Amino acid sequence: MTDTQTLNPSDLTDAGPAGLTVEDLTIRYGGNVAVSGFSLAGPLGWVTGLIGPNGAGKTTTFNACSGLLRPSAGRVSLFGADVTNLAPPARARLGLGRTFQRMELFDSLTVAQNVRLGREAALAGCNPLRQLISTAADRRAIAAAVAEAIELCGIGDMAGLRAGSLSTGQRRLVELARALAGDFRFLLLDEPSSGLDKAETAVFGSILRRVVEERGSGILLVEHDMDLVMRVCDYIYVLDFGQPIFDGTPVEVRRSPVVRAAYLGSEAADV
Amino acid sequence: MNDLLPFIIAGITSGSIYGLTAMGLVLSYKTSGIFNFAHGAIAAAAAYLFYTLNVEHGIAWPVAALVCVAIGGPLLGLALEFFARLLAEVPPARKVVGTVGLLLAIQGLISVIYGGDLRSTPQFLPTSRFSIGGTQVEYSQLIVVLLSTGAAVGLYLFFRSTRLGVAMRGVVDDPTLLALDATNPVRVRRAAWLISASFAAASGILIAPTLGLEPLLLTLLVVQAFGAAAIGSFSSLPLTFVGGLAVGLLSSLSTKFVLGKSGLSGLPPSIPFLVLFVVLLVMPKGRLVQAGVRARAAVRERSALPRPARLAIGAGGALALLAVPQLVGAKLPVFTNGATFVLIFLSLSLLVWTSGQVSLCHAAFAGVGAAAFGQLTTQLHVPWALALVLAGVVTVPVGAIVAIPAIRLSGLYLALATFGFGILVQRVGYPSSLLYGSGGTRAVPRPGISWLSSDTGFYYVVLAVAALACLLVWAVYHSRLGLLLRGLADSPLALSTMGTTINVTRVLVFCLSAFLAGVAGGLFGAAVGNIGGFGFGPFESLTWLTVLAVAGTSQFGAAFVAAGLLAVAPAYYPSGWNEYQTLAFGVIALIVALQLPQRYDLRGRVARAARGSAQRREASPLRARPALEGVQV
Ligand SMILES: Nc1ncnc2c1ncn2[C@@H]1O[C@H](COP(=O)(O)OP(=O)(O)OP(=O)(O)O)[C@@H](O)[C@H]1O
Ligand SMILES: [Mg+2]
Repeated sequence: MTDTQTLNPSDLTDAGPAGLTVEDLTIRYGGNVAVSGFSLAGPLGWVTGLIGPNGAGKTTTFNACSGLLRPSAGRVSLFGADVTNLAPPARARLGLGRTFQRMELFDSLTVAQNVRLGREAALAGCNPLRQLISTAADRRAIAAAVAEAIELCGIGDMAGLRAGSLSTGQRRLVELARALAGDFRFLLLDEPSSGLDKAETAVFGSILRRVVEERGSGILLVEHDMDLVMRVCDYIYVLDFGQPIFDGTPVEVRRSPVVRAAYLGSEAADV
Repeated sequence: MNDLLPFIIAGITSGSIYGLTAMGLVLSYKTSGIFNFAHGAIAAAAAYLFYTLNVEHGIAWPVAALVCVAIGGPLLGLALEFFARLLAEVPPARKVVGTVGLLLAIQGLISVIYGGDLRSTPQFLPTSRFSIGGTQVEYSQLIVVLLSTGAAVGLYLFFRSTRLGVAMRGVVDDPTLLALDATNPVRVRRAAWLISASFAAASGILIAPTLGLEPLLLTLLVVQAFGAAAIGSFSSLPLTFVGGLAVGLLSSLSTKFVLGKSGLSGLPPSIPFLVLFVVLLVMPKGRLVQAGVRARAAVRERSALPRPARLAIGAGGALALLAVPQLVGAKLPVFTNGATFVLIFLSLSLLVWTSGQVSLCHAAFAGVGAAAFGQLTTQLHVPWALALVLAGVVTVPVGAIVAIPAIRLSGLYLALATFGFGILVQRVGYPSSLLYGSGGTRAVPRPGISWLSSDTGFYYVVLAVAALACLLVWAVYHSRLGLLLRGLADSPLALSTMGTTINVTRVLVFCLSAFLAGVAGGLFGAAVGNIGGFGFGPFESLTWLTVLAVAGTSQFGAAFVAAGLLAVAPAYYPSGWNEYQTLAFGVIALIVALQLPQRYDLRGRVARAARGSAQRREASPLRARPALEGVQV
């Protein structure tokens, strides 16, 4: 495995300022090691990919980044500040947003309300008074953010429908819109395109690029759709059985025999 | 030491029965994910069946016991397994409602058949005595301990030596195994429910002679197993049995220590709940993993009535309520009571339906509010209206205390903790001089202006307060907090990862809910003039939740319907119907919680039958998903 760690984003001259950084992350479930000694840098202004076969530890890494799991070892920092001991809402308020592999929508709320909560939740924060009432400035910011996110994801026609009644593909878009409505400078997206068809996926990819390029946000993307990953990512990390086995640009990942062996398998021929 | 021995022996005897019950409870919970609040009701049903066979029909006790434990128990177990399978797919609050509904249904059925009076059952086991260290011990006590311990050991051997047992033990240790193909989930679950129900039946029969037969007493007292189950952290069966013994011993010994201390007489019977409450508070969160899958409610586009229609209904309803004193004659107090219940149900549905938190101690909030109102008005001479608001304010800290477990726990464990808290308030809080004192009641005046204190005037006072409460809840529902609460009900995980500290949200909603219930308590008191804690016990909390479930899940409509069903409708039933009320509420709540109408697509069938077309049945709209990525919030 001499070709791991060939290149770090910090070595690349066009890497943006620090977004999400993970150092030496190890997570155990009881006796099982789900992630072991994983380091990752997701700079702002980039889409960073995180790929690996099923059970590789991608979602587990996400959960550690957003504070849902306490790592057994390692550090997580956000925009240069150590957040390893912060609770999930505090990390979100610092600007870390996420979506879930199994989608966590507010099913009984409408699409518009879902997206609105994407912004409102962080404004409510931890202050009881702020949770009770919103200020006029809040309301203006929310309205603008909701309109923009809904427009960006093209879900305006379903704004009045309840999220629980939508199809999987539509729900993915709503969850993305909700994350985009938030004041998040870094987004963790866990298999956001599963359930979308080819055309929707293409649109999806261009949304991600726009977010990164226009807003200067950073994105960490877990995806099984290799075409999408290769097209939108600036840099890619590969996990297998919780071990980091490779990282590099899409071109390098595509060429890497290690990745082929571990992950792409029979698909490798097509890539 | 010698004067302790009788208490130790009594404690071990009852403790071994608690252990037996609790093992059954934990077994079914761990294998199916459904925590059976009706477990005690099964014990009660078995005890009554035994009474009928043994005492009324003179059948020899071994035969009667065998019928109850080996036939009655398993039959009930089969039915329970079916319920549990359906309940597995509904959200946590509904799971609780489902088995609480079952509890009321069984309890209501017993009351219908046997009446609610306490009957004494003779001890069927030999009552001759022998002596241990100078203390007389009945053979019946020895037999009870041997039987219970025997059952525990039998279960242990079953787990070690049979294939089914080994599979079951695996699932109890790690519920996710149930999803694997290696075990046959249906067989494991069914067997677990059979054993669980039989254990409950056995413990009911064994404990009845010492407790006496009374539907509620048995239902709630066998639920003492909660404490034992908590000691076993709701998962370890051996520890659960030990927990049963510990609870029995603690209760019994504390009886000795509080002897003659009048203020504490409520303590010994509350020990199990104290244990439950404390364990839930201090247990590391990771140990209290919820068994079973997480599920989402079926969501369908509601065909909400158009705005003008809703306004018309609201205006018509308001006019009708204003005209009530002119229309109902002597039944007016019933409507006053109903208007007060609107407050209760508004507060409960804010908590349960809007925010997805479960409270099984709502009556305790009202009880505290009523006592506080009495004290404020009669002893501190606070003006009536101000005192009513303050009664709510005084209840707020109580709500905050209950919210502490809500911070750490969710779903089932929250329900359990609130239930334990409600019983604690009833047993220890009400008799204390802070609330109702040893006299048990407190005078509560009506407003000082004479017209307002007449029945008609007071009705309008209550109606006005209810209207204000509606406005308050409406404002909250449409405020930022309202949106957060609705989000909290659907996905606490999403809300928290988007930046809301949901513990604050939870405390807020509990405080608000407690405030409203406290105000309602004050009004209950003023309506009757003199009030005690007896109307605010844990059974009332269970009933209120059940009735609310029967009334539907909307924030406002359900509150009015529930108040009508619980407080007003009984005054208009033909005579004789009232005794079926608990049974009916329980059964309907169970049906609602199981989502039977949606499951069998009743609405669609009716519509299709009306159209006369023969379309094929749609797939069930319910969706279940596995526990989310191992994370709990
Ligand atoms: N709650 C849990 N308890 C125990 N082990 C777990 C838990 N959650 C995940 N694991 C294990 O940790 C490992 C990593 O799981 P993870 O969900 O992070 O994989 P993933 O890369 O997201 O896979 P997928 O592509 O299927 O989403 C797997 O072996 C999984 O079985
Ligand atoms: Mg995953």
